[in-house]
Amino acid sequence: MRRILAIARKEFLHIIRDKRLLGVILVMPLIQLFLYAYALSFDVKQLPTATLDLDRTTASRQYVDALQQSNYFLVDGVLTSYAQVDNRFESGADKVVVVVGAGFGDDIAAGRAGNVQILVDGSDANAAQLGSSYAGALSRVFGAKVVISQIEQKGLNVSGAGGLTSSIRTWYNPEGISAAYFVPGLIVVLVTMITVLQTANTLVKEKEQGTYEQLIVSPISRIELMVGKIAPWALIGALDIIIIAVVGILAFGIPFRGSVGLFALSSLLYVICTLGLGLIVSARATSVDSANQLGSLIAFLPTFMLSGFVFPISSMPPVLQWLSYLFPARYFMVICRTVFLKGGSPAVLFPQIAALVVFAVVIVVLAASLYRERA
Amino acid sequence: MQFPWTKTDRPRPSGVDDGDAIVVSGLRKTFGDFVAVDSVDFRVKRGEIFGFLGPNGSGKTTTIRMLCGVIAPTSGGGTVMGYDVVDEPERVRENIGYMSQKFSLFQDLTVDENLRFYSGIYGLTPEKYAERRAYILRMADLEGRENELTGNLSVGWKQRLALGCATIHEPKLIFLDEPTSGVDPTARRQFWELLNDLANEGVTLFVTTHYMDEATHCNRLAFIYRGNIIAEGTPQEVKADLTADTILQIAVDRGEEALAALEGLESVDEGYMQGSLVHVNLGRRTAEDAGLREFLVDHGFEVGAIDRVEPTLEDAFVHLVTQQGGRA
Repeated sequence: MRRILAIARKEFLHIIRDKRLLGVILVMPLIQLFLYAYALSFDVKQLPTATLDLDRTTASRQYVDALQQSNYFLVDGVLTSYAQVDNRFESGADKVVVVVGAGFGDDIAAGRAGNVQILVDGSDANAAQLGSSYAGALSRVFGAKVVISQIEQKGLNVSGAGGLTSSIRTWYNPEGISAAYFVPGLIVVLVTMITVLQTANTLVKEKEQGTYEQLIVSPISRIELMVGKIAPWALIGALDIIIIAVVGILAFGIPFRGSVGLFALSSLLYVICTLGLGLIVSARATSVDSANQLGSLIAFLPTFMLSGFVFPISSMPPVLQWLSYLFPARYFMVICRTVFLKGGSPAVLFPQIAALVVFAVVIVVLAASLYRERA
Repeated sequence: MQFPWTKTDRPRPSGVDDGDAIVVSGLRKTFGDFVAVDSVDFRVKRGEIFGFLGPNGSGKTTTIRMLCGVIAPTSGGGTVMGYDVVDEPERVRENIGYMSQKFSLFQDLTVDENLRFYSGIYGLTPEKYAERRAYILRMADLEGRENELTGNLSVGWKQRLALGCATIHEPKLIFLDEPTSGVDPTARRQFWELLNDLANEGVTLFVTTHYMDEATHCNRLAFIYRGNIIAEGTPQEVKADLTADTILQIAVDRGEEALAALEGLESVDEGYMQGSLVHVNLGRRTAEDAGLREFLVDHGFEVGAIDRVEPTLEDAFVHLVTQQGGRA
């Protein structure tokens, strides 16, 4: 125990002495938090939009007005011909162009369906998708209003008629704030990066500077060395989780609806997994450079791509979905989002927690056996 | 054949504090097809300075690593301070000190923090630590510099601090693997004074070095070459083989070229550079027989003094290696 403390204290001193490392541990998470929370915003509001009204009737003007009044579109251009559309998209001035076809007003007046064309800039996939669905929805609402007013003009009372109203409500994140979705995920990504990369480095660094040689001829056992080395990083991992969570809650208004205890337990399990992965890299790598590369490969790719952080796992090709089961990040991602946004009881999260337990055990056993055999 | 270190026939109970500091029999280590250490035998007595010499890659470090219980021998074995290196590596490691040429200090920690760390690793009590710390700071001439970063110390101080850290638990046997390489001559001399002090206190020192002048500090030497011990004994005994030979020291311009030319001569058994001087061993021939000065002048070299010198350990070493059919 005294030896473990000696190692842990020494590791802390290394960290405190290394100003750049301190920055990586304490400042980088905050920078990334703000960067991701703002830059990775999927909220689409005020989508720059141009209109091309080929009809120029009262009906067509009403339609364009409806577009303008919705908060989702910012109508900043009125075009006069199709030829200008390309120009608007190419220059990036607009993401959406709504074209009201000639004869729109006549068709509506005659009780036929009016023709509207919605053009979106597909090079910005997110904006394009949202733009087309918003504009589509808007058109349906407009269309329904037209129908109702026509029916009313014919002297019928529609309030008595049946029909179908669907009211959509978004639970857990009613305002659809991206930050609420991203901050819990960011905890997973940042903690993984920091813990895997730093522990991957720690042993290789001692090998390169020759101090490892000294340690293995001392009475310290490999397991004591391993525990002493990861203990400070477990604490720093916990500290980072707390920092991101607190800043997320205070600065971005992210809710925390779940149990703190459950979150702490699963965080601990997850950090054990990542520290173990780092140690495995460290035992295998031959230089600090290769440790960094291998570490970021293991830490970054699966956590970023296969955890559901940015890309929903359910919409991935089956092979990648299967692959995602092999990394602990996907389970912790579900836990994080659930405890922050939904609450989530132990029973609900049991499969994820069980998976983390299995990963933690397997990884620690693997790391320990690697340390034992490596002279 | 029954080896003395096998469990059934141990020469004496493990850990008893008498007998030789190191006993090695048939110690062998192979890495795949490569034989790093080829069944070596030797003994190191308590309190002696034992020099373990050999060119790079000859098996010195591998031998030390086996003796420290860091890697297991392929076959054979031995005892270190009475503990079996194969069966009791933990006990071996508690009872030895180890210092390598890398000095094994944490450069971003202060002098005090380094001492404290190694004190923690060896489990010293607070009282013992206070006593050892005071002693090491005095020994290393670092009093008043406890809070300096180790990385800012110059190499001589680092070396002495490393020795202090390696001996913080007062081991009775210290392995020193090229402890003076890359250190200036003054610091080397000071360092050897410290080693002599330790030896006078009864500490056994197992030292590898490639500085032949340092080998003369040793009570006994072993030369290891390509995994085999090719000579063992006191410095005098190692040189005895050569005392009848004629060894000439030649001052000549373009020494390397002159050496190459001389090595082609039939009368020259061995030749090598000693600093800027050329050393040649003529065997039983006399200097006059060989006619080296005329030979060198004929080949356009400017020749200075040619002196017959007493064989040095380096001469002995070159001689031994040449006999093995290799080059030093």
